[in-house]
Formats: sequence, C-alpha cells, structure tokens
Amino acid sequence: MQDAITALINSSDVQGRYLDNAGLERLRSYFQSGEMRAKSAIAISANASSLVTQAVAKSLMYTDITAPGGNMYTCRRYAACIRDLDYFLRYATYAMLAGDPSILDERILNGLRETYNSLGVPIGATIRSVQAMKDVASDLIGTDAGKELGVYFDYICAGLS
Amino acid sequence: MSLVTEVIQNADEELRYPTPGEIRKFQSFCSTGERRIRIAQTLADNEKQLVERGSLKFWKRCPNTPSNSGNLRKTASCQRDQGWYIRLVAYCVLSGSEKPLADIGTIGMKEMYISLGIPLANWVEAVKCLKEEAIALLGEEDAVEVAPYFDHIIQVLAYPGAPYFMNNGTLEY
Repeated sequence: MQDAITALINSSDVQGRYLDNAGLERLRSYFQSGEMRAKSAIAISANASSLVTQAVAKSLMYTDITAPGGNMYTCRRYAACIRDLDYFLRYATYAMLAGDPSILDERILNGLRETYNSLGVPIGATIRSVQAMKDVASDLIGTDAGKELGVYFDYICAGLS
Repeated sequence: MSLVTEVIQNADEELRYPTPGEIRKFQSFCSTGERRIRIAQTLADNEKQLVERGSLKFWKRCPNTPSNSGNLRKTASCQRDQGWYIRLVAYCVLSGSEKPLADIGTIGMKEMYISLGIPLANWVEAVKCLKEEAIALLGEEDAVEVAPYFDHIIQVLAYPGAPYFMNNGTLEY
C-alpha cells in the first residue's frame, strides 16, 4: 500500500530527485490535516458498530432485501453483510489516515465485484449501504472530515460499479 | 513506506482500528511535519556542499581510495552515490521511517559494493564524514532527526555477516 508521503517519495525517487515544491506543499497540507484525520479515526473506532447499524437501518432495513427470499434474509447472510460493511468502514478509515486510496484496491476492491456477482450479492444495494454509511459517518465526524472520508467511500462505490 | 503505513499495516494485521498509542504516534508525526519538511529542504539545498566537504574530509582520513585515485569517473561515481544517500536520508526524514532508505538503498548495498570492488571500510568512513558534515550543517537540535539514518547505513555495512562455522572434518557436523 501507499500513503500520501510514500506516493510522493516513490514518484520523486524514480526520477532521482528531491521532492519538488508542489510535492512539499502537498505534504504540508497532509501534515496540517493530520489532527483532523486522527480525531476522525478515534471517533469512528469508538462508534464503528453503531455506524454500521445506522447505515443498515438507513439503507437496507425493511426493504425487499431483508424480507424472505431477499439477499439479507437469514441471519447468516445478515451477519455477512454487516461484517462486510464493518470492513468497508475500517478500510475507509485507514485510507483516510493514509491520505491515499491504494489500500482499498489492495485489500478490498481487487476481485470484490466478481466475488459478489458469484455469490449473488446485489451490487446496487451494496453501493446504497456504503453511501448511507458515508452519511452517518459524516454526521459523526463533522462536515469537513466527512468530506475527506467520503472520498474513500465513493472510491469503494466506483470500484464496485 | 512511512510511519503512517506502518501503523495501518500493524492494525490491519489484527483486523482492528489503530490503538490510542498508535494514533498518538501519528498525531505527533503530523505535528512535527513542518520541522521535518524544513530539514529535508536544507539537505536538498546543501547536497553539493555536503558531498564536497565530506569528500575532502574522507580523503584526508582515507587517502588511498578509488575516488581519490585520480580516476575522475570513480570520483564522480562515489560523489554521485553520496548525493543519492543524502537524498534517501531526506526521504526518511519526511516519512519518519527508515524504510525508504532500506527499500531503495541499503538492502543489497553491501553485495553491490563488494561486486563493484569498492572497499567497504572506506565507504563506511565516507558515510561517517557525510554524517558529521550534516550534523555541522543542521546543528545539534535538527541533526537528531537525521543522524539515525546515516547510522543505519553505517550499521548495514559494519555489522558482521552470518557466522561462519568451520567444518573440521569430524562427523558431528
């Protein structure tokens, strides 16, 4: 995986150069937003399970998907669904700390669409629940931090669709 | 690889969020960012001077070395490498981790210099000279961010290799 710093270092190193001014400026703004990233990670980790519950309540609960025959019907499938949402939340938090989405590709998105298709998991509903999680998480951590975190939830959605 | 990546990978290995201690580490890493950017910039701006002064010091201590043999190509290669290691140290200062140095410059360094026929003990001395010049340039306070990475290069070379057991011909071996 990469983070905001490593990405800049790697692209400078292949040219054998020091970081240029634009790169340093980006590092500076990353360091300045560090406090915001750290506080969001603390808040999310303290409320992770309730965020998942809220996201499910907002997007999936009492729709066809939880009714008999739906894809979240049976406890086993319900549990699998909230486990995956829990993963999405944790990895989005990692990506926000890193300031770089590459960990999402590496740990979540590679092959996920194919896996979901073969298991019959509806992609549309998954995206809906990820979007709901973006909303409830940004209610918790505030608009500015929510915007930054939202980038990574949107990245997950884009990778799924 | 940076301190941030290290924190995330440790947490991910155990499927958990970063611990309060890890978050604190991240916070202090970010809050010292400005200072580390300044130090890395100083290194970048003074690379040439560091290499030139370091070389003079090095040749004084180690006059009989390829870079001082009168072969200009050897001198240029040695000084180019010195500059590269200063650049890698600057990367490390920015990322708060010795990983960029290891990934790019120290894993395999010993083998490379041996195969090129560079006397390792001399190269250690050259890196020591660079370190001393960097400390002189930055001052004691800022140098604490930089010195450990030079030490890392020195240690990679100065550590003995795998122990060598001699088979004396008895069956116990």
